[in-house]
Amino acid sequence: MSKLKGNVAIVGIGEVPTGRFPDRDAIYHAIESSRLAIKDAGINKGDIDFVMPAAALYSAQFSTDLACSRIVEELGLKNVRTNCQIFGGGSTSACFMQLGGSLITSGIAKYVLCVQADRVGTGVTAQGGIDLFSAAGISSEWERPYGQHVSSVAALISTRYQYETGTSDRHMAAVCVSNRKWAELNPNAMYQKPLTIEEVLASKMLSTPLRAKESNMLCDGGSAFIMTSAERARDITDSPVYFFGEGSRVTHFALSQEPDLTRFGWAEAAKEAFEEAGLTPKDMHIAELYDSYPMIQLITFEEIGLCKRGEGGEMFLKGDTWPGGKIPTTTNGGMLSQGHTGAGGGVAILVEAVRQLMGKAGKRQVKGAQFAVETATGGTYMDVHVTILGNTIP
Amino acid sequence: MNTPEKLVPTIHSWTEPYWKAARERKLMIQRCKDCKKHIFYPRICCPFCFSDQIEWVEASGKGKVHSYTVVQNNPPSAFVKDVPFIIAIVKLEEKVQMLTNIVGCDPEQVKCDMPVEVTFERVNDEITLPKFRPAGR
Repeated sequence: MSKLKGNVAIVGIGEVPTGRFPDRDAIYHAIESSRLAIKDAGINKGDIDFVMPAAALYSAQFSTDLACSRIVEELGLKNVRTNCQIFGGGSTSACFMQLGGSLITSGIAKYVLCVQADRVGTGVTAQGGIDLFSAAGISSEWERPYGQHVSSVAALISTRYQYETGTSDRHMAAVCVSNRKWAELNPNAMYQKPLTIEEVLASKMLSTPLRAKESNMLCDGGSAFIMTSAERARDITDSPVYFFGEGSRVTHFALSQEPDLTRFGWAEAAKEAFEEAGLTPKDMHIAELYDSYPMIQLITFEEIGLCKRGEGGEMFLKGDTWPGGKIPTTTNGGMLSQGHTGAGGGVAILVEAVRQLMGKAGKRQVKGAQFAVETATGGTYMDVHVTILGNTIP
Repeated sequence: MNTPEKLVPTIHSWTEPYWKAARERKLMIQRCKDCKKHIFYPRICCPFCFSDQIEWVEASGKGKVHSYTVVQNNPPSAFVKDVPFIIAIVKLEEKVQMLTNIVGCDPEQVKCDMPVEVTFERVNDEITLPKFRPAGR
């Protein structure tokens, strides 16, 4: 058990709408998200003493700017001791939590600003985006020569998962529909129009069984949050969100080397996280699960203990995961509907978990939500991260 | 749009025996002399027991399709002209897993756990890629 449990809190969140903004330089997304997070926390910008920007994917120059303290200068933060770039692909959110939390509990930092911004929507062409993500977590020697890319990665997992569990194409499509029902209520989401199972199934086949509308859309955007100690949090806000538990595993680099293509390490990571928190899956009021593609959201849903293996698809189809359902899931719409901003898809899901627990989720607010399970995974699902958050000390 | 060249693997000292064998249409994989486990892809040290005593053995070339996908649209630009093509993860009898293409097989026919055997496709003078086809044809 780490020293972070109950001792670290998120006290402010900021986010800009995701979408395609050809006239907005990426720095806008970083600065505006950070500014909103600092305002939301109700602290002085001079209180920030540690800045952790995520690496950006669309431009090496922009990413280097962030590593070299551009955000600190643009925001005029005068008391920052360290600016340190963090990157774990889709798991960057979990890296933020673990590292930022450790800095706070060790006393190195008082207020950590974690921020992610990217422009993978308008900063690259559509084919450029496919090629960019075909080099991310895919082995240049052992996989790329065979044409492996992100859609085929998702498809290979889907094929085996459906084969082993009997999960149907309709069940997979139901995940996209469930996420869209939440995005309909999310003004920051790229896609807010209703979506049907039939529309998903009729969309272009990319790599069997994965269809175009089961694929996340790359876009521009950013989000940010402020971490501090639980003690300081209680002094500055009525709605701190505490870190209660965490479990994680790294299981592969190249997808073909993953020992269990339909489970990864989710069950073990979840067991650790729930044990640390002293809570169970049944105690969770919301599940903010990393999506990117429907199969990983379904596998995660089942493996972390929200239902039995092979039964998740039916729950997404019936509406258990929708607004008003038994276990509201991925309530910002996820990368399938809010949009995929590089490493930011996962950060946005963490920010959404905090937003719900702060009671600031507007039309999609889950009433009375006290505990959330939140997940992240990076590369080609190279790792699993399960985090338990709450607004009440259990 | 000009089709870019497909990425060709770089040969390293510890992978050279693999590519040399592939040029001769043989599938060689590593085995750890200490823990006796087979290893793929070629490593600098044994990923199981950390030994640096690694030998090369010829693989059976037989295995099963663990999972597969038929790529139909939106592949990397170097593969746009190749669609439809099959990408698969094959589990060899030696219990190692490889990413590969299934060739000589109608995309409608490929199935999980289908038996396959190795075949070879020459890319250039240095690189020949091991691929797999339905077994016993």
